[in-house]
Amino acid sequence: MATAVSGQQPLVREEPESTPAQRKEATSTEERRAADLRDRRLVRRLRQGDQRAFEELVRLYQNRIFGLMLRMIGNRQEAEDLAQEVFITLHRAIGQYRGEGRFYTWLYRIATNTCKNRIKYLRGRNFHRSVPVEDTPEAHDPGEGGPAVRLQGQVAGPEAMAEGTRLQSAIQRELAQLDPEHRLLIILRDIQGLSYQEILGITGLQEGTLKSRLHRARIALKDRLAPYLE
Amino acid sequence: MPAAKDTSAELMSAYLDAELAADDAAAFEEQLAHDPDAQSEFEQLRKVVSLVSSLPEVQAPPDFYEKVSKRVRRRQLFASEGMWGLVSLPFQVLSIIVILTVAALYMMAQLEQQPTAIERETVVLPAAPGSAPAEGGPTAIRP
Repeated sequence: MATAVSGQQPLVREEPESTPAQRKEATSTEERRAADLRDRRLVRRLRQGDQRAFEELVRLYQNRIFGLMLRMIGNRQEAEDLAQEVFITLHRAIGQYRGEGRFYTWLYRIATNTCKNRIKYLRGRNFHRSVPVEDTPEAHDPGEGGPAVRLQGQVAGPEAMAEGTRLQSAIQRELAQLDPEHRLLIILRDIQGLSYQEILGITGLQEGTLKSRLHRARIALKDRLAPYLE
Repeated sequence: MPAAKDTSAELMSAYLDAELAADDAAAFEEQLAHDPDAQSEFEQLRKVVSLVSSLPEVQAPPDFYEKVSKRVRRRQLFASEGMWGLVSLPFQVLSIIVILTVAALYMMAQLEQQPTAIERETVVLPAAPGSAPAEGGPTAIRP
């Protein structure tokens, strides 16, 4: 670190430990363009009443939307219900999507609004998270390509695995204690790997506000995780 | 130090995310190089971001689409047929049969009661003069 900061080489270029968010962001422009094109075609077909297009869209985005809900709410049943609600809204309101901006930014906007409304409602009912995210076996099911990175994967041996699991649980627990606005930004940026531009499109924040709010969110999480990192 | 604090607030996360322009990144590195406290905070922050980023991806339940599709169909049915969309066809038919049966039974009960009423009306008819009926006996019906 000291060497990097000493000015011999820029930190970013020398950084060997790029975060998954950075790696995800490094997805080529070509791939993004292809994904946008695919989404646009699916949306066009859905508008014409093609239910198979709807199925494709759901299957494409269900993990991301469900993941967002689960990290935000912390309860699997509630998260599933909310994620379903998002896709039902998508089906109903697809006519309102004018094709300006990327489709999944629009979908995420529906998801974040749905989530915020539910959090307000649950607060009113004094809702408590009943099933911690990391305690459910489904939380560890690998997807098609498997999880991008696992804490357990960084270290070897049962003790290290147990330590990794303990840290994961701690992170989720402390994440759940953050202000919902802060939690949302950390999930979108650090867990789901969205770019600043995408987050701006979803949240409607100004760039400066996003930067400072994301930083405050990370500092808050760092302070909460301090006992686990010593 | 205040400058470093400003740097932390405004630039540290953006630098960590490689979201700074080259000039801003160079300026940030320069500031960081002269501030051990900021360096320490930067390292801690990077560690936290790395840990959070390493959380496993969550998978939706395998039957997620089927559940969504079912709810969408139910809503469409409700929207197109109103309340009837909520109930199945056999239940609708059964409901109609029950309603018709109850109505028929009610009408039959009414019809059975009607002759009695006529009889009672007949009883209170005044008798013809000179032919007083026996007390408590049946009323003679005049043609």
